[in-house]
Amino acid sequence: MYDVTRRRFLLTAGAGGLALVSGLPRPARADSAPLALYNGQHRPPVEALIAAFTKSTGIEVTVRHGNSAQLASQIVEEGAHSPADLFWSEESPSLVATARRGLLAPLDPETLQQVPAIFSAKDGTWIGATARCRVVVYNKSMIDAAALPPSVLDFATEAWKGKVAYAPNSGAFQQQIMAVMILKGRDAALAWLKGLRDFGEVYNSDSAAVEAVEGGDIAVALSNNYYWYALAREIGEADMNSAIYNIGRGDPGTLVTVSGAGVLKSAKNAEAAQRFVAFMVSEEGQKTIVEAIAEYPLRPGVTSPFPLAPFAGLDPAPVTPDQLGDAEAALDLLREAGLA
Amino acid sequence: MSDALGDIGSGLAGGAPRSARRIALGRPPLLLVMAALVPTALILLPIVYVVLRSWSAGWYAIGAELVRPRTALLFWNTTVLTFAVTGLSAVIGFTGAWLTERCALPGRAIWRIALSLPLAMPAFVASFAWKSLGSEFQGLGGAILILTLESFPLIYLPLAAALRSMDPAMEEVSRSLGRNGRRTFLAVVLPRALPALGGGALLVAAHMLSEFGALAMLRVQTLTTAIFQQYELQFDNATAAVLSAVLMLLCLPVVLGEIALRRGQRVSKVGRNTARQRSPVPLGRLAPVALLGLVALTVLSLGVPFGRLVYWLIVGLSAGRGIDTILPALGGSLSLAIAGTFVTTLVALPLVLLSLKSRGLFVRIADRLPYVVHGLPGLVVALALVYFAIRLFPAIYQTAWVLFAAYAILFLPLAQSAIRASAELVPREIEEVARTLGRGPIAAFVSVTLPALAPGLGAALALVALELMRELTATLILAPTGVSTLATEVWSHTNDGAYAAAAPFAALLVLISGLPVYFFTRRTLTAIRR
Repeated sequence: MYDVTRRRFLLTAGAGGLALVSGLPRPARADSAPLALYNGQHRPPVEALIAAFTKSTGIEVTVRHGNSAQLASQIVEEGAHSPADLFWSEESPSLVATARRGLLAPLDPETLQQVPAIFSAKDGTWIGATARCRVVVYNKSMIDAAALPPSVLDFATEAWKGKVAYAPNSGAFQQQIMAVMILKGRDAALAWLKGLRDFGEVYNSDSAAVEAVEGGDIAVALSNNYYWYALAREIGEADMNSAIYNIGRGDPGTLVTVSGAGVLKSAKNAEAAQRFVAFMVSEEGQKTIVEAIAEYPLRPGVTSPFPLAPFAGLDPAPVTPDQLGDAEAALDLLREAGLA
Repeated sequence: MSDALGDIGSGLAGGAPRSARRIALGRPPLLLVMAALVPTALILLPIVYVVLRSWSAGWYAIGAELVRPRTALLFWNTTVLTFAVTGLSAVIGFTGAWLTERCALPGRAIWRIALSLPLAMPAFVASFAWKSLGSEFQGLGGAILILTLESFPLIYLPLAAALRSMDPAMEEVSRSLGRNGRRTFLAVVLPRALPALGGGALLVAAHMLSEFGALAMLRVQTLTTAIFQQYELQFDNATAAVLSAVLMLLCLPVVLGEIALRRGQRVSKVGRNTARQRSPVPLGRLAPVALLGLVALTVLSLGVPFGRLVYWLIVGLSAGRGIDTILPALGGSLSLAIAGTFVTTLVALPLVLLSLKSRGLFVRIADRLPYVVHGLPGLVVALALVYFAIRLFPAIYQTAWVLFAAYAILFLPLAQSAIRASAELVPREIEEVARTLGRGPIAAFVSVTLPALAPGLGAALALVALELMRELTATLILAPTGVSTLATEVWSHTNDGAYAAAAPFAALLVLISGLPVYFFTRRTLTAIRR
């Protein structure tokens, strides 16, 4: 009796498993396939934009979320067989890397004209969607705003030992290294990294570094601006122990970087993908995005509802996303400094 | 009885192999060999990928990568973490198993559950909870504490099962031969508990080698976090492959150690469920100490992380954001985990059966290779599958099947260990008896061996389901586009700093992980005794 029930248990369980396998979602057929988006950008703005796009055009979008660089690796690995139609990256270097491998198609010229040309690829293979800024986040009770230095390079000194949080494996930090290298030279960039290695504290992400500052674990963090706003939304801005410091003066400590998108050459839904990118930089699209994340819209005339420092007054490092390239040189420096 | 005496005899002789048993091993059936080729081929994929990618770096780059001071640091951190967590987990697991199985501990049934439940708490959830209590829990020390608290059940459970299923007759015989309690323990109990201890320790060690999410949160840099970093920073990465190769080599001594432990061990019983009840050892004045220790352990391993989840639910302003995706995510978790579990267990079964029927070199390598790969991060296995699926089987790329292949590669050893625990209790002779009575090989297997394997299969299903529920990186890369799981939602919300939004997903993940843990615990701890 007992054996029979056991055997029945196994048989039923096995049959159930097979039924579940056969019931799993299958890839849709190519002729009716929805637009396939590989997304490395933060989800809230992307999901908001997709909802608005589908509502306005009737085109369905499926999303694969991930880290921008990992998705770029995946696209490179997939090559011409990639199921992706379009790639929305949190950072421009991932777009540059896929473009350099000849995987991105040119965008519609009309789309490219919607945002200032310096925020897109020179060859028109990708377009900037939003801008954000490298900033210094500091804990108000641990450090006096007047004591903050005039350059991000100053943090890599013994005076700041144990007080500076940074995330060497974030794409944004890599771009900051590139900016230091372009503006101050390779040797200065390497010395800066070695200083941070010796005196700074490594965090896994900008968001973790900002939280550590807010929690009083460490005085200062080098971060993108919107992580502070994300935390402020979580905690309530009035209750924040930390604040943002914009260095300005063309210093690499204030660096404007962009998120952006490109259409794959191998896209099966190339036309719909082009429409999506056009929608992304349209007035409606830009409004939808910047309501969901504290980044700057790139389309002139659209404003962010977040209390951001005015874009025009940032006085950032004078380098463009195109100049930052795919950040390979930054990785070499990170490795030379023993940080990667 | 003669079998028991024989076992004690071999124990006295230092575990000498019993050659009489070996003769019973015939040539393995061809069908079984064919079936075992499937997991072997799967396991070879990431190995080939790592070798190919390392090779493309060239000898000079490989050498340069190996002698960097940073590689030494990563190697050191990885080794310290692995040894410390495995050692501490073994101590806690053994103490816990001894208390609940051999001692007159008040509330044994409840403590069994309390000691198993931390399995349901994903390490990255626990780490986030602890980290938010204070920065002192970050770093290597904090990681050792937190990961031990969530890992020890992997040793506790098999050990508790082993201690329970041991026939008291052997210990009685040993005592009747004049050995005292300590010597009986060393000569009879310990050798029989070692395979369970070794198997559990191996799993903990492999988890530590491949752990990523928790360590990233706790700011500990190991080979695995460095591999992730490399992939985040660069494309076509060869140095990450070199580090992966180092990680696989680190798994080798662990696996060889476990093989040494298992050599000459065979713990079959004549007939099923013959172990008698034994009377528990009174704890006496130690009872309050034991209870206090168990309470502290439960508070640390379950109370703190759960408390933080509830706290974030109440305090965070992002609470409820994205809550409409909770049902699709639950559906994704369940369908991927359940189906993946059956695939993984099914693939593991022939491997275990073959290893019991035959001891050839191929069989031994095929049986142990999954443990070497178990230490690889999910990211590497996933990228290997992208590489091969796109080139060899483009039609199934981004279907659930590739993900199931990754699940099988990553978690075969869990299924193997659980099935083997049951399979070793089945005397080989039984199937032969069935065959001499006129049954064919398959009929003999289905009617005699398979029912006896049921507890092990149940345990395998539960353990694998548990791991698949919380698997993150392979799922992110390989899941069919548009399919999300609870784990990927937790990851993505915490990535955006929205902890309160992540909390309901994390809580649900812990709760549904509790189901396989409960099932596994019941299977492991009661089926044997009935």
